[in-house]
Amino acid sequence: MLKAPGWEMSIIWYFFLGGIAGGAYFTAAIADNFGSRRDSAVARIGYLLSLPLVALCGLLLVVDLGVPSRFLNMMRVLKLTDPMSIGAWAVGVFGAFTFVSSVLSFTTSESLASLRRKIGLVGMLFGFFLASYTGVLLSNSALPFWADSRLMGALFLASGGSTGMAAVALLVFLTGGTAGEGWHKIERADRYSMIIELVILAAFLALLGSAARPITSGHFAALFWGGMVVLGLVVPLVLNVLGHRVRALGVVSAVLVLVGGFVLRYVVVMSQHG
Amino acid sequence: MARTLAMFTDTSLCIGCRACQVACKQWNELGLEQPEWTGGYQNHAHFTDKTFRLVRFVEEPKPNGDLAWLLMSDVCKHCAQAGCLEACPTGAIYRTEYGTVNINQDVCNGCRYCVSSCPFGVVAFNEQTGTATKCTFCNDRIHNGLSPACAKACPTESIQFGFRDELVAKAEKRVETLKAMGFKEAQLYGADSGGFLGGLNAFFLLLSKPSVYNLPADPKLPQRNVVVDSLLSIGSALVVGLGALLAFRERGKGDN
Amino acid sequence: MTTNLIDIQNTDVIMITSNMAENHPVGFQWVMKAKERGAKVIHVDPRFTRTSAAADIHVPLRSGTNIAFFGALMSYAMQKNLFFKDYVVHYTNASFLIDPAFKTPTDLAGLFTGYDEARRVYDRSSWKYQLDGEGNPKRDPSLRDPQSVFQLLKRHYSRYTPEMVERVCGIPKAKFEEVAQLFCSTSGPEKTGTVTYALNLTQHTNGVENIRALCMLQLLLGNIGRPGGGIVALRGHANVQGATDLELLYHELPGYLAMPLRDAHPDLKTYLDKETPKGGFWVNKPKFMVSLLKAFYDDAAHAGNEFGYQWLPKRASADAYSHQHIFVDMYNGIIKGFLADGQNPAVGGPNAKLARAAMQRLDWLVVVDIFLTETAEVWKAPGTNPKDVKTEVFYIPAAPAAEKDGSLTNTMRLIQWHEKAVNPPGDVQTDAQFICTLAHQLQKMYASSKKERDKGFLAANFTYGAKPDHPEMVEVLKEINGVATADISDKDGKVVYKKGQPIASFAHLTDDGKTTSGCWIYTGVTVEGPDGKLVNRAAGRKPAEANDYLAHGWGFSWPANRRILYNRASANLAGKPWSEKKKLIWWDPAAPGQKPEDKPGKWVGLDVPDFNAFLAPDAKNGDKPFIMRADLVGGFFGPLNDGPFPEHYEPVESPTKNLLSRQQINPVAKIWQVPDQKNQLAPVGSPDYPYVITTYRLTEHHLSGVMSRYLPMLAELHYAHFAEISHELAKELGIENGEKVTVMSPRGKVHLTAMVTHRIKPFVIDGKTVHQIGVPWHWGWKGVPELPGSMGDITNDLSATVGDPNVYIQETKAFVCTVKKGVV
Repeated sequence: MLKAPGWEMSIIWYFFLGGIAGGAYFTAAIADNFGSRRDSAVARIGYLLSLPLVALCGLLLVVDLGVPSRFLNMMRVLKLTDPMSIGAWAVGVFGAFTFVSSVLSFTTSESLASLRRKIGLVGMLFGFFLASYTGVLLSNSALPFWADSRLMGALFLASGGSTGMAAVALLVFLTGGTAGEGWHKIERADRYSMIIELVILAAFLALLGSAARPITSGHFAALFWGGMVVLGLVVPLVLNVLGHRVRALGVVSAVLVLVGGFVLRYVVVMSQHG
Repeated sequence: MARTLAMFTDTSLCIGCRACQVACKQWNELGLEQPEWTGGYQNHAHFTDKTFRLVRFVEEPKPNGDLAWLLMSDVCKHCAQAGCLEACPTGAIYRTEYGTVNINQDVCNGCRYCVSSCPFGVVAFNEQTGTATKCTFCNDRIHNGLSPACAKACPTESIQFGFRDELVAKAEKRVETLKAMGFKEAQLYGADSGGFLGGLNAFFLLLSKPSVYNLPADPKLPQRNVVVDSLLSIGSALVVGLGALLAFRERGKGDN
Repeated sequence: MTTNLIDIQNTDVIMITSNMAENHPVGFQWVMKAKERGAKVIHVDPRFTRTSAAADIHVPLRSGTNIAFFGALMSYAMQKNLFFKDYVVHYTNASFLIDPAFKTPTDLAGLFTGYDEARRVYDRSSWKYQLDGEGNPKRDPSLRDPQSVFQLLKRHYSRYTPEMVERVCGIPKAKFEEVAQLFCSTSGPEKTGTVTYALNLTQHTNGVENIRALCMLQLLLGNIGRPGGGIVALRGHANVQGATDLELLYHELPGYLAMPLRDAHPDLKTYLDKETPKGGFWVNKPKFMVSLLKAFYDDAAHAGNEFGYQWLPKRASADAYSHQHIFVDMYNGIIKGFLADGQNPAVGGPNAKLARAAMQRLDWLVVVDIFLTETAEVWKAPGTNPKDVKTEVFYIPAAPAAEKDGSLTNTMRLIQWHEKAVNPPGDVQTDAQFICTLAHQLQKMYASSKKERDKGFLAANFTYGAKPDHPEMVEVLKEINGVATADISDKDGKVVYKKGQPIASFAHLTDDGKTTSGCWIYTGVTVEGPDGKLVNRAAGRKPAEANDYLAHGWGFSWPANRRILYNRASANLAGKPWSEKKKLIWWDPAAPGQKPEDKPGKWVGLDVPDFNAFLAPDAKNGDKPFIMRADLVGGFFGPLNDGPFPEHYEPVESPTKNLLSRQQINPVAKIWQVPDQKNQLAPVGSPDYPYVITTYRLTEHHLSGVMSRYLPMLAELHYAHFAEISHELAKELGIENGEKVTVMSPRGKVHLTAMVTHRIKPFVIDGKTVHQIGVPWHWGWKGVPELPGSMGDITNDLSATVGDPNVYIQETKAFVCTVKKGVV
């Protein structure tokens, strides 16, 4: 009886990349503010990763519109009880933060670095928002399963955290930084994030009960349980712990977390498609 | 604010002729559309971007062997608390001074959030225009002293148009009359402005439970959980942020 | 219909035998209003339709068994004393005595007295009243004489018991008794009931008798002429009522006058002598006929040349010229040319395969229609090789209703003027333009003819208004109404009509050539106003009021703006309404008479009296409401070709033998022999064609689909051409809802989508299961190309060329078929 909005791959990628962008940024801001000086390299990677991703996110949103040329119409209103309305603004504001933080991540000036850290703390809030608001957007629609999931936003945020950190970890590896302390810290942060995500996921499924059937059984069950839960969280968590000794495993873990994060958004969105 | 207008669809008078469905298409110039096989006379399972008034045919075999064929002209409910309106991020969906809900086709950019935010599945996406569409309550007609096209076309006055308070009073009397005639399950749907969604400006008289007509028994505003969900997200952020903090901080040294 | 749609709201019980909600949705609002006032609705139909959805009781009956049902209702009313005795005794011929030689099918194994088996006709000489010395029918007001119509009727329908209804119609006994009790309770002064019918009753080989049965039932219950009573005959659209009033029919002239027969009516005097009865309002027939001839031929018609009577075409036989006759003759090469004006026989007529084959043998075919119909492209019919078709086909684009002025006459005899909304585009003509242009061309071509028979046509007027080929429709209506051709004075010498003035009433028509009238029943539709200007009463738009619920100021209802016919019957012998609740007209002894010097007294009330307004109830014939009948009373004993009482016979194709008598089918039904096996009929109970099939219309489509299948917003309302099949039959055949199936009859086969539904149930006929299916007939091979469901096979390929013996209407409501899973 109810209608699905017809959001497909461009929106699934948006959810995924937006989660990474938000997660990478807030991880960077935390590392920048609470980590050691050596962690500023990790912070820079985080800031720099979030910038192109946010730009890409913006593009994905515009392209998905029925009339893309009217994307600025989102700026006509700001409805504080409407996740999509706030989200439209927040993407732009967050984009500005990622730009400033990215530029400032190259500074050698201590005062500018200090400014960067302060800016990071504010931008971090927008990062949290970007990673989670799309979940709240889904849970405040009329479609069953989405509408029943009070923890969708919380889950998306945790996933944004784990995928953002995994992406940063991967970039640390690719830029040859695994020898440094930053690698261990990002791995540790990701590990904590995965554990939190698993707990939230368990609560999410428990609260939903049979309403979760669109992803826990039927067409998407294999993908959800196999692709997201096992391969996307449980296995990478184990590999992450083992990765303490064997670096390669940590890298594989990061890749699997990313895959799992994509699968999560894929099954959540696509299970309502018809 | 002008007096609220409403449409009262009394299904006890409906003969399923589809004049309403066609009059709406003609007035709104909705164009050619492929029908669907639904197993009976109904030619679309639900509302589409080109069918704003949809006549539903429900065969209800009764335990005593009799058959009831429930005929209902369904339409956008123009809810007093409208999920589509709350969801719209461009302000394209607005409420007129008459209380009706309309989608401005020049502003809508086709994000489709409203499509998933209607508890009745009314709003649909038009691929050709790239916008969301639904019943306009014949916005142009009511602003020129005319009734909506569907109400005008209905031969048995099953669809009645007028001021909401007057129609509700009429409908309440009608339910009592029907009950006295033996229609034990006759009931109003959406007439009560203290009821769900603040009342519907297109409300109905049904001859059976709402679920028989595929209507939700107690529809709610999808946005009612925004605060709770946001708070839970904030909680999640705090925990995840704390985890990251614990992972990165230098023990006992602060952020030097 | 004898009554008025608006009046339906006054009924206590309505028995709908047609599918009114679907096919007369606008009229159905009055049924809804009746319901709101507490009326009960009975729907008698083999299928559960949208009408049944609004009904209190649905009575499923096997197609083709209407008389069994109505006869049983009559029997029930007579047995249980649920008939309106005073009404029956005084206002009908129930008390009249019949010739002692006359016997009914109860005694004669299904036949009436006088059947000639060889010629398949009845000798009706014993079907008459016993007369007294003065030539009046003998009567028994106590209704006890065994030769009284009442007792004969009772005897005739004694076989029609509730048990018989269950065996023949498939209606469970308890349901029949429930319905009988409910409907017959409307007899008596305080209540009235009404009935509807449409093609559900007409399209049978006993079509006319079906209708008779319903009329007789209503007479028995005392419902005719009373508010909430009458017979709601639901005419089709496209101005069918207007078409029959103006007699676009083979056997009558405008105003229900007989089309002359060459041998029986060689001259006007013979025609008038034979056709004019001795009593009743039809004694005025000569005035109507002469006025009609004057309307045709103007000044060329005068007393010296029988008013042009010899110019009228004459029928060679009464058993010829109907729709079905035409196509059989066309197939046999007798008819070489055909003009189809707004008709699509390739799809719309019975035995459509035969019709198409027939048209493919014509020399020429002219199609005047709004769209290119299947008939207009008959050489492209499926299965036809265009090279084999030598017919020269002309297509003349026509204007639809919105592009034409003129009047429309709807089912309640209401003539309403209709103004065009836009001009037709380009060269498109209205029908009137086409006919007048054609007539003028023909008159030019025949101008030099010296033949006597052409003089009439050359004299006929086809010019209405200033421009010969552009008729002004008000002028046409004025001609239909009639005018004075010379000054007319009354018996005191006062001039009542000046030459050229419109005639105000058919009572003023004359047989001396001083008046014209194109259709006497319409006279009064155009009158002269006090200012001398023409008033078109069909254009009146005064809505109903509290004291005029019938809205006499809206349009003009023939005859004479009477809305409910036989309304004298709403009052008793003394002229008072049978009941205050059911008052319609009544005698007011104090009202002024017709002229100041006359005795006071007049019929007054809520309708124009269908009676001499100044004839007192206690005067001679003041108590006889049925003014159109020769004996002025309602006729239980009637004049039809197949019997004075309706008798149940099975349809020509039936799954069962007749359980009511040894006579299987209507003994005088018309069955055509057609070469090349183009009219094969299934034998009774054929195992090859075991199911009953009925064909019908849907709200969303119109007739042969020309006005609906080309319009996307209508064509999309039904997914595709379908057959409605019961769950039980579907299970037997392994058919799923939505699957393609093949429906076959001895004449043809069609491929349809199966719609498996609870609304169709099998019948139990004499203890055996008999399945029935329903198939709408709106589809043809043309439509909207983007909507595949707008095109489909032609249902009428299944029906046969058989007809009712009175009017030769086809039997498309009940015949047999088989159903096969898949496309065969």
